[in-house]
Amino acid sequence: MMSKTRYQLHWITAVMSVLRTLREMIVPILILVFANGINDTGKWYLDYLTFIIFGFSIIVFFVTGIIKWKRYVYWFEDDELRIEYGLFVKKKRYIPFDRIQSLDYTEGILHRPFNLVKVSVETAGGSASLKAEAELTAITKDAANVIEKEMAEAKKRKVQSVTIDDEFEEEFEVASEPPTKKIFTMSGKDLLVLATTSGGVGLIISGAVIFLSQFADVLPIEWAYREVSGFIKSGLLIVAIAVFLVLLIIWGISVAMTFFAYYGFTVQIDYEDIVITRGLLEKKRITVPLNRVQSVRIVENPFRKLFGYANVVIDNAGGGITGEGAKINLLPIVKRKAINTPLQELFPELILDEPTNQLPARSKRFYYRIEFVWMVPVIAALSYFFFPFGLFSFLIIPAVISWGLWHHRSAAYEIKGNQLTMRFRMFSLQTVYMMKKRIQSMEMKQNYFHRKRKVATVSAAVKSGMGAFYAQVKHMEEEEAEQILAWYEPAREAVVEGVLEVEQ
Amino acid sequence: MRRQPINRISEKGLRVWRLYGIIQTFFVLLVAIGAGVLAYIFEWSWYIYGIAGIIVIAYAYLFVYLFPKIKWLRWRYEVRESEIELQHGLFIVKRTLIPMVRVQHVDTSQGPILRKYNLAGITISTAATNHEIPALIVEEADELRSRISTLARVADDDV
Repeated sequence: MMSKTRYQLHWITAVMSVLRTLREMIVPILILVFANGINDTGKWYLDYLTFIIFGFSIIVFFVTGIIKWKRYVYWFEDDELRIEYGLFVKKKRYIPFDRIQSLDYTEGILHRPFNLVKVSVETAGGSASLKAEAELTAITKDAANVIEKEMAEAKKRKVQSVTIDDEFEEEFEVASEPPTKKIFTMSGKDLLVLATTSGGVGLIISGAVIFLSQFADVLPIEWAYREVSGFIKSGLLIVAIAVFLVLLIIWGISVAMTFFAYYGFTVQIDYEDIVITRGLLEKKRITVPLNRVQSVRIVENPFRKLFGYANVVIDNAGGGITGEGAKINLLPIVKRKAINTPLQELFPELILDEPTNQLPARSKRFYYRIEFVWMVPVIAALSYFFFPFGLFSFLIIPAVISWGLWHHRSAAYEIKGNQLTMRFRMFSLQTVYMMKKRIQSMEMKQNYFHRKRKVATVSAAVKSGMGAFYAQVKHMEEEEAEQILAWYEPAREAVVEGVLEVEQ
Repeated sequence: MRRQPINRISEKGLRVWRLYGIIQTFFVLLVAIGAGVLAYIFEWSWYIYGIAGIIVIAYAYLFVYLFPKIKWLRWRYEVRESEIELQHGLFIVKRTLIPMVRVQHVDTSQGPILRKYNLAGITISTAATNHEIPALIVEEADELRSRISTLARVADDDV
């Protein structure tokens, strides 16, 4: 029989929950304190009202944190992971081991000193249950191993009961588990390139701007303005140096952030799973079962392409709607030339050739024509109202046309066996590799002008998390589009197979 | 040229769309009357009445007569042994192919207006996408729903 001991989380859970609430409260506290200020009304309880409220709520949070931690128990029974929790309403969640896709581990700063991990239980997550996952906020690594052991044992029991029926056929498979194999690691230089070319820099700047705008009332703007105007007068060189220094600092922060998040990034293959580990302060381990991967995308950001780099993203069935787990950055940065080796090792059946079929010349116009709808009135208005300089707005036309032509030239597609490759550009160039059995539905779209010119748009939907990712090649040859649809159509395939069977 | 799917949606669906159009036009009309009253009170120029009238008439023509007709003429579907094919769209003609093995579940739904006309809509869901056939006779919809769910076998390996 199975053990039915009920396990508790580590007490640090309570501390974490309090800290988390505090972190969420810090902005409201600051705003309230600054908004109210400390004014003297003569009555002390009015002066310190905000502080009293917050002090009181902190005590409440502390108590509820402890109760929540005390109430949270998990145990194993009937090949299920069972969890019981809840502050006022007792909730129970039973997750069968079969349904568990993977256990993801995170080690935060608070986990480290106690040798703890946060375990996120990822389930297959049918479309009906939006959140079947469970999260064990802090347990010891030994306890985490116990879960894995219980899971493995449960699976073994299942296999054994099968093998007894099937006359010991599958027993060997259980015994021979290949060791984990390292597929990909990131070097320090890669980390630098990743930090420099990612959106992190922009994020920090916008973060700083938002932060400053929040406190615009409090900050001595006028004084700063006077200082700055005086400063600018003091010489262009000094201003340039200052700007350079600021950019350097921002870059440094971005590098540091990337470094913390992606330090020691490794991709391993562990039997049937891809295991991704990363992080310095907060160590993360994500498991993606290979058969849950829906599509492989090579994304080439123009900046990265400049240095010969690209990144690889996979769409994963399961996980949240847009949260982590849907779209996974498999290789955050990798030399374009070095992409094939790790990908081929992970997905041997994938044909990683560049798609060769490009679009016909007559579909060029569709890539920029629609833009004229907004362009013409904008240009007309600008030219009229800002007469001499407004004429410069005519430069929008060549810009939009070349943008369109860039997209037209980037688009491509290819069918090879059971694989459809589509390439298209938003800002980054994306090459999507999809197996036929992973495509959920396919659509061909045509408007009146498309039909006249015999072009069509084809879009294929693959599951990504709870939602869908649509890969589409716009304005392609109508005939080719129909061929792709025919390739996708199961009936035709069945007919072809039927013919073959008859011949045999 | 690719063959069009065979089946059409119910002719009563056209009437339902017209009804929707009439209801929408009614609201546009209310707004137009509001504008007219304001123009009268504040003595705005007379062409406000003209513009309001033209908008209402154009709206009624497009949404009660023209668009439902085009939409209905365009709407076609076909449920074959191993796939479902849909064709629809007003300005953009969309042709969708859903393999049976991808179908997760089928729902029929019916609002008050559809119920009055003994119609129902069908929603076909795959793991990632939803597709709708808007108006079918209830019996036909029920039959189609059960047919699709028998044909749809959930493949083990794929999601």
